[in-house]
Parts: sequence; structure tokens; C-alpha cells
Amino acid sequence: MRVLLVEDDPILGQGLKVGLGQAGYTVDWLEDGASADAALQDETFDLVVLDLGLPRMPGLDVLNHLRRRGDEVPVLILTARDAVGDRVAGLDAGADDYLVKPFDLDELTARLRALQRRHAGRPDPLLEHGEIVLDPAARRVTLRGEPVNLSQSEFSLLQVLLENAGRVLPRTRLEETLYGWDGEAESNSLEVFIHHLRKKLGADLIRTVRGVGYVIERPTS
Amino acid sequence: MRSIRQRLLITLLSIIALVGIVTLARSYLDARHEVQELFDAQLAQSARVLQSLVFHEIAEGDLGPESEDDLERPRRRQLRKRLEREESRLDEHHGHGYELKVAFQVWRADGQLLMHSMSTPEQPLAPEVFDRTNYRGGFADATIDGDHWRVFSLWDADHRFLIQVGERHDVRDELTTKISRRLVTPSVISLPILGLLIWFGIGGGLAPLRKVAAEVTRRAPTYLEPVDVGPVPREVRPLVDNLNDLFARLASAFDRERRFTADAAHELRTPLSALKTQAQVALRASDDAERRAALEQLLAGVDRASHLIDQLLTLARLEPGAHPIQRQSLQLRPILVDVLSQLGGKAVAKDLNLELTGEADPTVAGEPVSLSMLVRNLVDNAIRYTPSGGMVTVAIDEDAKSGVVELTVTDTGPGIEPALRERVFDPFYRGLGSGTPGCGLGLAIVRQIAELHDARVELDDNPAGSGLRVRVIFPRPATK
Repeated sequence: MRVLLVEDDPILGQGLKVGLGQAGYTVDWLEDGASADAALQDETFDLVVLDLGLPRMPGLDVLNHLRRRGDEVPVLILTARDAVGDRVAGLDAGADDYLVKPFDLDELTARLRALQRRHAGRPDPLLEHGEIVLDPAARRVTLRGEPVNLSQSEFSLLQVLLENAGRVLPRTRLEETLYGWDGEAESNSLEVFIHHLRKKLGADLIRTVRGVGYVIERPTS
Repeated sequence: MRSIRQRLLITLLSIIALVGIVTLARSYLDARHEVQELFDAQLAQSARVLQSLVFHEIAEGDLGPESEDDLERPRRRQLRKRLEREESRLDEHHGHGYELKVAFQVWRADGQLLMHSMSTPEQPLAPEVFDRTNYRGGFADATIDGDHWRVFSLWDADHRFLIQVGERHDVRDELTTKISRRLVTPSVISLPILGLLIWFGIGGGLAPLRKVAAEVTRRAPTYLEPVDVGPVPREVRPLVDNLNDLFARLASAFDRERRFTADAAHELRTPLSALKTQAQVALRASDDAERRAALEQLLAGVDRASHLIDQLLTLARLEPGAHPIQRQSLQLRPILVDVLSQLGGKAVAKDLNLELTGEADPTVAGEPVSLSMLVRNLVDNAIRYTPSGGMVTVAIDEDAKSGVVELTVTDTGPGIEPALRERVFDPFYRGLGSGTPGCGLGLAIVRQIAELHDARVELDDNPAGSGLRVRVIFPRPATK
């Protein structure tokens, strides 16, 4: 899961980057509104965590631009302003959720999971595919009821493929999901992770679309 | 302190009572005098009536000492009868209560009593009239057998006979008493009624004041609307106006305070979230290096939160009117040297060239602690915002003619665009680029301190190129 974090406070931004990383997210952190606006135009993110009081461009403007472009990426506003008017303005500008500082990291990640779920249009917090069940909150995968031991990258890869089941995800998208801008991706690491997933969960789970990327087919049931 | 109502009532009633007493006393004396005059006149008149009745007879009947035996003459008898009738009429109070109670005597010049009314003593009513040297008639007062008499004496034309008509004082005294009683009674009765009317009258007069008081009672720090009680009397108007003025100033002060507190609370949220997030990150860290990094961030966050709180407290203390500063005459240069030596390390660490230029050592009227805080905030800002390798210059100048002292801090940082040069003084405004930790209170504090010193703060461009120049302009120190 690739998250764009826009927060101008250096210590909070750094903490969120690490904290969300611990929760399995790949975090790209920007400290001003204008850079965030530019990044959102050029790249794909699964989630956006947006502060409102930003230098160079207010968070609400970033949000407005985003929605005007028709981008539906889930946005969670993170701000110190807690007046009802501020919340209403934020939600009306197209935010999907609103969290007031100071917040709990657990609550933030829970809300991010809920946003992903809603965005994917599935009510069940568990991602199921045949005999495979992925629990995003617990970061656990079971196969036929038996826990499967996955690395963090393998888990993220599986989650994004399951969430986009039936859609072919390009290599670049998957690599960004894994590394963000910090990516020191070796050229074949993606293949290595896919190989591990196939070994642990079954060879026919992930199919390769040559020259494009990978896909998990939508279960027929 | 008694109420205005009580005080007015007591004062007014006292004045009324005093004036009443004086008026009554005066009226009583007047009345007594007039009664005396009236009764005297009647006494005199009675004497003249008697004279016309008696002397004529006496003269005609040659009523002399030699004709004493003629007393039984019919004319004399007739006269006596008439006199007795007259006397009994006087005695028996047939007519009016205030008719004269008269006694009379008719004397011959040699002191022989010729005639007298029945209730009359036989000694002269006013013996001094017989004194040859003092021949005059007229009024006299006498005491006979313990009774007080008013006597009128009347001689006939050639001083042969004397008529004395007397009247006891009781009657006049009674009349005077009655008159005064009638004067006093209404006043005594009217005094409490007057008091009651005054009481209600004052109450009505004070009603606007009570209304204002009731309105003021409703005011609280949360409710400082102007008092509006409609038209008020001229005397109360200044009170209401001044109160409303005070309320307006209080309301704006409270408003400023509230806004500042709300802003401060908001500003504290971000550092607090940073602390919490870093603490949670440290708890979750899977290895020591990660935990250590988070804890270091946590410490930095605590330092930053402390700095914010320090700045907030500083600003609160500098609130105009909170604590008037004690200004003294002091040299600016030592303060600059002190602050620059403290911040020098920071500048060196950032590879900045920090310098103090100029030779001037002007004196300003100021308070050393807050002035040093002003300099520290300016230089600290300059160091924060100037990129490595840049230059921060501090200068003081004194205009020899005008005596104006100018403190200048110039940096080679990003500068502040003209449109934002007013806003950056607002508390918590942080419009400058990210990545430079600051709480947004520095310039607010600078301006506050400057205002306490009657100084001006101006922002413009570094004349030597890019960057910001801050000028603090102190007016000429007040002549000692």
C-alpha cells in the first residue's frame, strides 16, 4: 500500500513515515502543498494523509485540485483544527475521513484500512480468495485455515493484488507499492517476491501478463 | 454607607423640618404679637367706651368728693346698673370665647376709688400711673394676687379722673396657644406624608440607576454586551457610556485572549501528535536502531514543545498592560554582544558568517531582559532561515541629529515577500518554507517588545542582494 503523507511538521512527518511503515505501508512524505499537488498529478497512491495547514499551498486546495481531476484516491485529513466548520469544510472538499491531532497511530492505521476497504467496495474487512484469507488489520494470511508466514513485502504485494483482483497491475505500480521513492529495488526483486508467494500459496494464484505485470484472477464463485 | 434614597430622605426631611420649625416659631411670635396688639386695642377701646359712659356722667353730676351723698341719685343708679350689666355680660361669656374679660376701676386723682367692676381688686390695677411725676396713661403689666393683668389707664382731659381697664393674660395666652397649635398640627401630620412622598419620588428618580445596575449585574466575562436601558437621565448617561466603553474594551481583550488561547491550543496539538507518534513508533520498533532513532526524535519533539511553551509564556507576559516594563537608560551594544555570543555556536554549526558591524554604542530607554529577547528572536530567526554559507549581519546606528537609534538584522535567507510582511507578525503565522522548525511566535514577540519600547519594526529586502532586513527603530530617548 503506497501512502502519500503530506505533513509540514518535521518530527511528526518523520514519525508518521516510520510508524506507517511499521504498519506495512510504503510512505512517501512531502512537506508542502505545492509538491503534494504535483506528486498527486504524476503518480498513483493508494491513500493520501493530508495536513491542512501547509506551506506553499493549503491542504484544502490540494484536495480540491485532486478531486477536480477526478482522482478518487481515498484522502484522510490530519489536522489540528477541530471546529465543526473545519471538519465540514474538509469533508465537503472531498476528504473521506478526518482525524484531529493529537491522534493515535493505531486509530490512524485502522481508519486507513477502513478507507481502503470502502474504496474497494467490499464490506468484509478480510480479503478472501478461494482458500486464502488475508487480514489487513492483523497482517496475517491463512491458507485453508493454516497461517502462512509472509515477509512484509510479500504481504503488501499479496494485499494489493487481492484488492485489485481481476485487474492487471503493472510492474512499476507494484514496485512503487513496495518501495515508494526510497526504492532501491533491484531489478528482479519483484520477481523474487512473486516467486515466494507462488511457492507458499500455490503456483497458479498469481498469473504473469508478459511485458505488463501481474494479476490475481477474480474468484469465479 | 446608607443608600442614596435614605440619605436624600433624611436630608430633605431634616431641611423641611428645620425650615418648618423656624417658620412656625416666626409665625407663633407674629401671632402672639398680633394677638397682643388686637387685645390691647380692644382694651383701649373698652377704656374709651367706659370713659364716654362714665366721665360724662361724673362731670355732669359734679361727682366730686363733696357730693358723696348724692350717690343715690337716680342718674347715678342708672349708670351703675348699666355698668353692672355691661360687666356681667363681660363676665358670663355670652358672646364669643375671645371677648375681653375686662375689669375696670374709676379713680379720682387723689387716689379715691369711685367705681369698679365687681370682680376687680380694690387696689389700683396699675399704681404707678398715680405717680405725679409719671402722669402718663397707657398700657402696663401687673401682677395682682398671683394673676397677670394687662392694664390700660386713661386720664380724663384735665387729669381729674382715671379709668383703669384690666384684663387677665389667660385669654390671650389661650388664644396664642390655640393659634400655634393649629399651626403646628398640620405640619406635624404632613411631615410623615411628605416623607412617604419623597421616598417614592426618590425611588422613581433612581429607577434608571437601578435598571443600569440590574443590567450590569447580568454582565459576565462571557456576556459583555453594551448596557442598553433606553433613554437615561443626563446624570446617568456618563456612567452608562463609560461602562459600555469599558465593556467594549474588556470584550475585545477577552476575545483576543480567547483567540490566542485557541490558537495556542491548536499549535500545541501538532507537537503533541509528533510526540505521541514517535513514542508509538519507538514501542513498535523491531530493532534497537529504529527505537533509538524514534526516541531521539521524541526528545527533539519535547525540546520543541518546551520552546513553544516558553515563547507562549513570553508573549503572554508581554501582553500590553500585563506588566508595565521598567525602562532604564542602557547601552544596546553589550546586549547585542551577549546575544550574539550565545547564538554564535549555532551560526558556526550552520556555517554562517555572523557579524556585528558599526562602532556606535547608543543609549536607549529600555528594559534589558526584554530587549535581549527581541535581539535573540531576530538573530535566531535569521540563523534559522539562512541557508548554510550565508551571512547574518547585525548593526546599530544612531542618527546624530534626530537621536533615533536603529537596530538592523540582515540575512541572506529567502526573505519575505512584501504581501506577507504584515502577516508574519501574527502569532503562529508560519508562511515561510518548511523544514525550518519554529513556532511562529518569534516575530510576534519582537513586535510586542518593540511596542512596549515605543519602537517600530520594519521588514524589507536585504539591500545587498537577496534576504531579509529587519529594522527596529527606537525613537529618540526622552530628554532627561
